Amino acid sequence: MAATGEKAADMDSISRVVMAHPTALNLTGTTVPHGESLEDAVEPLAPALKKPSTNSDGGVETAEEAVEPAEPDINELCTDMFDKMAIFLQGELTATCEDYRLLENMNKLTSLKYMEMKDISINISRNLQDLNNKYASLQPYLDQINQIEEQVSSLEQAAYKLDAYSKKLEAKFKKLEKR
Amino acid sequence: MSSAETQPRFGQSVKGLLSDKVGTCSGDVIALTRQVLKGSRSQELLGQAARNMVIQEDAILHSEDSLRKMSIITTHLQYQQEAIQKNVEHSKNLQDQLRHLLK
Repeated sequence: MAATGEKAADMDSISRVVMAHPTALNLTGTTVPHGESLEDAVEPLAPALKKPSTNSDGGVETAEEAVEPAEPDINELCTDMFDKMAIFLQGELTATCEDYRLLENMNKLTSLKYMEMKDISINISRNLQDLNNKYASLQPYLDQINQIEEQVSSLEQAAYKLDAYSKKLEAKFKKLEKR
Repeated sequence: MSSAETQPRFGQSVKGLLSDKVGTCSGDVIALTRQVLKGSRSQELLGQAARNMVIQEDAILHSEDSLRKMSIITTHLQYQQEAIQKNVEHSKNLQDQLRHLLK
């Protein structure tokens, strides 16, 4: 565990050194002449792949790992990333907000429609009340019309009786005339 | 444990691990947001409310149509009442005449 920890620390230090000198190295396994240091072998600011320099320290060959060149605008990229994350999250929440707005608009339109209906029904109620009052004032006249109707029917009966009586009289007169 | 995970593995740079971690955190934030929205059930409830409103709209329009017809009928009743009012004023004379006839 300790050995692996030391090895991992070595690899980390190597990667840090390489990142400090932004170059791209290639793990080809070629060896550097004996005595040359690791920093001398690494050429600064060269994006092309380089031959890895090996350090034959105590007969152990080591190689530098290939790393990408460091991004020059890390801060800007981070800011851009967070901005886009914020826009995305805001979009997710906006969907629910839009649903609420839709319901709000529908409710407003429905309330307007109900207010119109309320006005119409108030007018109708007022008109019907006036009509009821006027029909109530017409009631004596309607009673008179009923009386007129009864009187007309009794007049009609009287007319029928008169007609029958006059026919009888005519028949009697003719009989008497023949004698 | 975390230190072992953050240690560069064979063939993987610290930078790669960092970018993976950032991507994982972003994904977690997005998943959390979606879970919060899903847990609130706002989408379902609001959708159901909108659907119910659409169903009610037909009834509301029908009610409005009926009310307008009722107002027109009321106006016609007013016209008829005015005509009746004008004509029943003659009924008094008619009644007097009939009374005389039937005497």
